[in-house]
Amino acid sequence: MKKIPIEFSINGQKREAFVNPNDLLINILRDELYLTGTKYGCGIGECGACTVFLDNEPVLSCLTLAAAVDGKEITTIEGLAKGNELHPMQIAFLKNAAVQCGFCTPGMILTAVALLKENPNPTEEEIKDYMRGNLCRCTGYVQIVKAIKACAEGGENGSI
Amino acid sequence: MDQFKYISPKTKEEVLEILKQEKSEACIVAGCSNVLPYIKDKKLPAKLLLDISGIEELNYIKESEDEIYIGAGTTISGLINSKIIREECNILYQAAEQFADPTIRNSATIGGNIADASPAADVAPPLLVLDAVLEVESMDGKREISLKNFFVGPRKTVLHDDEMISSIKIKDDPINKNGCFIKLGLRQAMAISLATVALILEVEKDKVADVRIAMGSIAPIPLRLIKVEEFLKNKKINDEFIEEAVKKVREEVKPIGDVRASAEYRRYVSGILFKRAFRKLTD
Repeated sequence: MKKIPIEFSINGQKREAFVNPNDLLINILRDELYLTGTKYGCGIGECGACTVFLDNEPVLSCLTLAAAVDGKEITTIEGLAKGNELHPMQIAFLKNAAVQCGFCTPGMILTAVALLKENPNPTEEEIKDYMRGNLCRCTGYVQIVKAIKACAEGGENGSI
Repeated sequence: MDQFKYISPKTKEEVLEILKQEKSEACIVAGCSNVLPYIKDKKLPAKLLLDISGIEELNYIKESEDEIYIGAGTTISGLINSKIIREECNILYQAAEQFADPTIRNSATIGGNIADASPAADVAPPLLVLDAVLEVESMDGKREISLKNFFVGPRKTVLHDDEMISSIKIKDDPINKNGCFIKLGLRQAMAISLATVALILEVEKDKVADVRIAMGSIAPIPLRLIKVEEFLKNKKINDEFIEEAVKKVREEVKPIGDVRASAEYRRYVSGILFKRAFRKLTD
């Protein structure tokens, strides 16, 4: 199949690539750009491990064709920190021990960041509802919800 | 994954031209949230994916004096964020809020959910009770199809190979504001519906003045329960009447058993979901 030229921005940097029509965004991220923070979980849109931001909205990179991101902005977990300065949500996850094996963490953090953008002060129920598509096989949900709440509230374990 | 060609046209016109040339070879996609899993599973032999997600003229929600128009490319998130949908057809908003999860809702579109024609499509029962009409286009022109005549079987519709759904039209009607959608899945998140109910109701002096009811996952297609509607109309609301209606619901549904639930359970729970929705709108 003929390759398709695409241009996109990845974590603030402009990139060009030639992709196959059936390449998935996650494969380009992991195998071509070596951004392996984004994880391949179920591959069918059930687990949320491959969540990335596409034009500032969280989407699943395992269900996004690489050819479809032409002209768009992508942010992965690698693009969240500013240099050595972690994003407040990353700090909150660390301080609240919301990471066990770490496989779901990139997707969890990105979805959580999207939640606070839409709703800066979510209730516990609202957090659980918004995070419903991100699965943690270690079942560390209690700490994950706590971390998101702490990030929203700021304070010692949160963003400040 | 199988190989396929990919084109992302910039206008509706282009899509229609390609559809006319390619016919059954082409599959329209937007969010890809169903199509890519189908291709991975080898359930869909797509030769060409026509990506319409970048076509702005298919992405809108607007209101005229007596109608609401939703572009087929509107995402489920787009429905949730629309004041028009929330206020004028809240039942569709309720279904959108229970749809998959926020990430899928950013990709999946209303047109895709309809065209996929799953018996479990969550936007279908609300649109059926809203008496939605699909505007369908091809190079030969436009036609309108009432949603209740659109589905013919699981993943089968009356849409021709060279046609696409361009918009969904809903007539403004005060009854549309009093609706209730309930989804039953095996869990809260990401679940494919085991049964859904959409009910809109107008009550006058303890009597059912007008009613529309549709259900999902309980028949080969999302189904309007016309016989139940006829039974309900102009009846006085009391406990006995509701129990009678529950029986009628269980008579009219045609469920199958699958990995999620048996046919018997679906038939039983259809009555329960109807009762819950009815009580919610009348209590």
